[in-house]
Amino acid sequence: MTMPASGASPVLEARDLQKRFGDRVAVDGVGFTIAPGETYGLLGPNGAGKTTTISMICGILARDGGTVSVAGQPVDVGTPAAKATIGYVPQDLAIYPDLTARENLSFFARLYGLKRTDAKARIDDVLEVVGLADRAGDRTDQYSGGMKRRLNIAIGLLHRPQLLVLDEPTVGVDPQSRNAILESVEALGREGMAILYTTHYMEEAERLCHRVGIIDTGKIRAEGTRRELVAMVGQRDKVKLSATGDLGAAAQTLAREPGVADATANENGLELIVDDARGLLPRLLQAAADAGLTVSTVEVVEPDLEAVFLHLTGRALRD
Amino acid sequence: MKALAIAGANLTRMGRDRLGLFFVVLLPIILVLYLGLQYGSSFSPKIGVHAEVPGVLGDQLIAGFGEIEPEAWGVVRFADEAALRDAVERGAVDAGLALPDRYDERVRAGETVEVEFLSPAGKVGIGIQETVRGIVAEQAARVRAARFAAAETGGSVGDQLAAVAEIEPTLPDLSVSTETAGSEIFPRELLGFALGAQSQLILFVFITSLTGATQLILTRTLGVSRRMLSTPTSSATILLGEALGRFGVAMIQALIIVIASALAFGVAWGDPLGTAAVVIAFSLVGAGAAMLIGAVASNPEQAGAIGLVGGLGFAAVGGCMVPPEVFPPIMQTISHFTPHAWAIDALRALAVHDANLFGVLPQVGVLAAFAAVLLGLATWRLRAALAG
Ligand SMILES: Nc1ncnc2c1ncn2[C@@H]1O[C@H](COP(=O)(O)OP(=O)(O)OP(=O)(O)O)[C@@H](O)[C@H]1O
Ligand SMILES: [Mg+2]
Repeated sequence: MTMPASGASPVLEARDLQKRFGDRVAVDGVGFTIAPGETYGLLGPNGAGKTTTISMICGILARDGGTVSVAGQPVDVGTPAAKATIGYVPQDLAIYPDLTARENLSFFARLYGLKRTDAKARIDDVLEVVGLADRAGDRTDQYSGGMKRRLNIAIGLLHRPQLLVLDEPTVGVDPQSRNAILESVEALGREGMAILYTTHYMEEAERLCHRVGIIDTGKIRAEGTRRELVAMVGQRDKVKLSATGDLGAAAQTLAREPGVADATANENGLELIVDDARGLLPRLLQAAADAGLTVSTVEVVEPDLEAVFLHLTGRALRD
Repeated sequence: MKALAIAGANLTRMGRDRLGLFFVVLLPIILVLYLGLQYGSSFSPKIGVHAEVPGVLGDQLIAGFGEIEPEAWGVVRFADEAALRDAVERGAVDAGLALPDRYDERVRAGETVEVEFLSPAGKVGIGIQETVRGIVAEQAARVRAARFAAAETGGSVGDQLAAVAEIEPTLPDLSVSTETAGSEIFPRELLGFALGAQSQLILFVFITSLTGATQLILTRTLGVSRRMLSTPTSSATILLGEALGRFGVAMIQALIIVIASALAFGVAWGDPLGTAAVVIAFSLVGAGAAMLIGAVASNPEQAGAIGLVGGLGFAAVGGCMVPPEVFPPIMQTISHFTPHAWAIDALRALAVHDANLFGVLPQVGVLAAFAAVLLGLATWRLRAALAG
């Protein structure tokens, strides 16, 4: 995953978003920016305020406070023109079940203001992108869950938005469709699209997102790259070596290696706590060999966002 | 225009819904056909007749009822006039006709005779009265011709009547007067059908519009309306498009009923402009009511139930189930709280009293006000509901 060029002016700037429903504060001071070509993840459990945040960014829901601008234009409920820069893919399957995929696409193409001739070409393009070209004439109530999800995404791509907003786009799909969806999102990011991706699957956030905001009870609790987040909470990688030899002596030697915080022996081998397992691994294996150990397997356990979330909130990401 | 795209999607979806199509297209046609058969051909009244020594002319007159097209009337003879009156009052016959004693003899003698038409108090069909008048008028015309001939030639009225009967087909003025009586019968006969078709029109257009609210609710609950709001489309345009969709469905159904009944059974709706104005105004009322239900109901089942109960209830109170003419005054007043009553008033005025567009402007105005209030309320409620 290559980091997008920094310094370019951001596609999305959201500041201090506020929303309450009656007494319940759904979003409380959420703000972030997304650069061109950057994929930003909002990771949080059910009810964290992801959809509410997105709805305010897309100008669907009136906000109680804060500002949003996309491609330099302010966005709000009453600014239809500015919404042409955003492609919104809702969490619900917002498609007509009694229309075909092509009919759904041409309906939204008209709402996005595409000219008839452009629309035809764009519809063919996006059908190709999500791999539905051969089923475009079928009514969508005959689609599988994964196909519906893919059409749901295709609609948001019709007008070549500068910012693509995906609200949990892989919920309820089979692993194959899920992988296809993640691959198209990666491809769109490489083409330079700014992407806001919400999910409560941390594997997706880790795979797709350059930066992640961890959201809970309406607030961003932490933000950064995966490594930054992990470091922020003092989590380090774990390396497990299954080995035979003088384990106690080897543990003492390895503990003195730079980057190694701790090394302990157990009945199967050694367990090391290190700063950057991937970078250190060749040196660690060499040192183990030098200490007379015979290593049979190596396992690297990197702390994940799940652990970060647990650390930040004291709760698991999924209940 | 984006609003048209939204309305168009609504109509396409309606076209995909078999049950919806049945209600919008097929059921009204079936009912118009049913009504057409009911009133158009097999509606044959029974007439009670009392005649003492009717003679040839009296018998001819009575036989005339058996020759009415398209369906002969039933004739019941009564021995005395009191029995006839009684039968008419009890409704055992639809109307009564009392010929004076020695009818034939007195007509031939050149006397002026009066036949008495008996109708049950207050509720005789215009058609029946008009038909009887036509048959009597036909014979009267022949008698007058014979009298004229008798006066000219000096023969007896009786002789001249026979001559008139022979040459009648070649007498232009006589055949014209007979024709007039005959052709008047036809639209009068069908009037009952026209009234029925008017009620069906109002009842169906409203119910269909209301059940159309379920489409709007699906659009909301599926999240499609949210998604529409995320596109560069204003909420006003979205609401306009949805309202146009409902209005389109109502208009399609209204056109089907009006055109099918007019073409197949010659129902005379009256002034086309006036009819169009009433139909458009009432379709707008239906669209407004549908939008309001679409805004407040939380699921399609609920909307369907409200639509059916509300649709039938308003139709009953508004005078679509029984003719509003039989309502007591208090009900007449209550019924005018429904748009249905105003629409039926206007359609009656057009079909029965030959009113034109200007004549029904007051009713059309009231309907437009109903529509404006409903659409206003719906817009206010829907603006928030669209975002789901
Ligand atoms: N229209 C609404 N009316 C009242 N409360 C709402 C409304 N929409 C959201 N909420 C509340 O706001 C909070 C945030 O909801 P939101 O849908 O933004 O969460 P989310 O992070 O998208 O959750 P999920 O992962 O389940 O989609 C929740 O407590 C929810 O109950
Ligand atoms: Mg959500």
